[in-house]
Amino acid sequence: MRLPIQINEQSAEPLYHQIEVQLRALIVSGQLQEGTMLPSIREFAQTLKCSVITVKRVYSDLETEGLLRTRQGTGTYVAQVGEQERDRHRLSAVAEAMEQAVIAGKRVQCTEEELKLLFKEAMNKHFD
Amino acid sequence: MTETLAVQLKGVVQKRSNFQLGPIDLAIPKGYITAIVGPNGSGKSSTFRLLLDLVKADEGTIEMLGQQVGGSPDVELNKKIGYLPEESWMHEEKMKATEKAEFQRFWYDKWDVNRYQELLRLLEVDPNQVLGKMSKGSRRKFEFALALAHGPELLLLDEPSSGLDPLAWKTMIDVLHRYMDRGDRTILMTSHIVEEVKRLADYIVFMSQGHVLGMYEKDELFSSWFVYFVSGERISAALAAKMPGQCGVEQAGGTTYRITTNQAAAAEQWCLEQGLELVSSQAMELDEIMAALLMQDRLNARSN
Repeated sequence: MRLPIQINEQSAEPLYHQIEVQLRALIVSGQLQEGTMLPSIREFAQTLKCSVITVKRVYSDLETEGLLRTRQGTGTYVAQVGEQERDRHRLSAVAEAMEQAVIAGKRVQCTEEELKLLFKEAMNKHFD
Repeated sequence: MTETLAVQLKGVVQKRSNFQLGPIDLAIPKGYITAIVGPNGSGKSSTFRLLLDLVKADEGTIEMLGQQVGGSPDVELNKKIGYLPEESWMHEEKMKATEKAEFQRFWYDKWDVNRYQELLRLLEVDPNQVLGKMSKGSRRKFEFALALAHGPELLLLDEPSSGLDPLAWKTMIDVLHRYMDRGDRTILMTSHIVEEVKRLADYIVFMSQGHVLGMYEKDELFSSWFVYFVSGERISAALAAKMPGQCGVEQAGGTTYRITTNQAAAAEQWCLEQGLELVSSQAMELDEIMAALLMQDRLNARSN
């Protein structure tokens, strides 16, 4: 199975983190349903052109979060995600994206006012 | 590292009249693909010959799959290893491919005829030819199939893709990934091909002039080495040189500097703290990272 995960090689953001954020989003949004079997570690590493060390780390982190479970000898599956948990994860992904936006702004010396203005503009574009 | 090791070299030295290899200390973890990269003549193939006990080390100890190498020939150990040499053996020129396969089959009791046939089919090799009459690519593919046919625990590949066309190359990469899927096998390989290392390796070992410059986890390596274009009113060459992990500063016109670093995350944080603008950032390719490491190594050698 090919998962819609894209890697930005030009980013200094660690690879495992890039993959984790996207895989978490796929699970929390319900795009990957409970019981879906994920690719084997080597197979996933091959499609993403990353090392198995990175994939192992992603699987084990998401397992700790309760989003994945591994059955010895068979593979890694999407776990059951409770409503409450889904909500918490749902917001954490957005909070993360917002923080990245602020960091991007600071990188080009945006003031707080400018950032607020940009945020409002973006909001207006998508909500009436 | 708590994982078990497939190969371990401790203080290994090989002295020849015009070249000294080592001292080499290296620990290759089991279950992973490790690629050794380095310029021609850096000692990659020599290291392989030492591992296979084709030549003896003058100093140090070598262990393969937990067994000491260098004593009496160990047939049981050899059965667990697959080796693809960089050059084909000259004395086999007149041998038919099927004859060589029969010979291998005699020695390796785990020889799997189905796997062998499947590999020949995938790689599109006709085993009824005489080895010396095969094209370089066909012979390479045949040797590759032979190295894998007994399902070795440890696979040593010396420049596996040399002479292969792009399609065969892709097939080879797929075969190797599938071979590794079980998780308990190990590949140690050398390569000059940047893309090949990127697609296969979990760990990368850099070698130069008979020495190991370092061993790195691949993704960590690529996310640490970056080139930044940094600009700011109060920037100077002296300030630019203070960037964490700095490995080279060049002026890039006006108040912009091009800085190479091997600590990308810390460098970005530093720019933020210093109030410097990050105009652009570029990840580095394997060959560029190698060049920078070689440069550092030369500078260190000079200052010692």
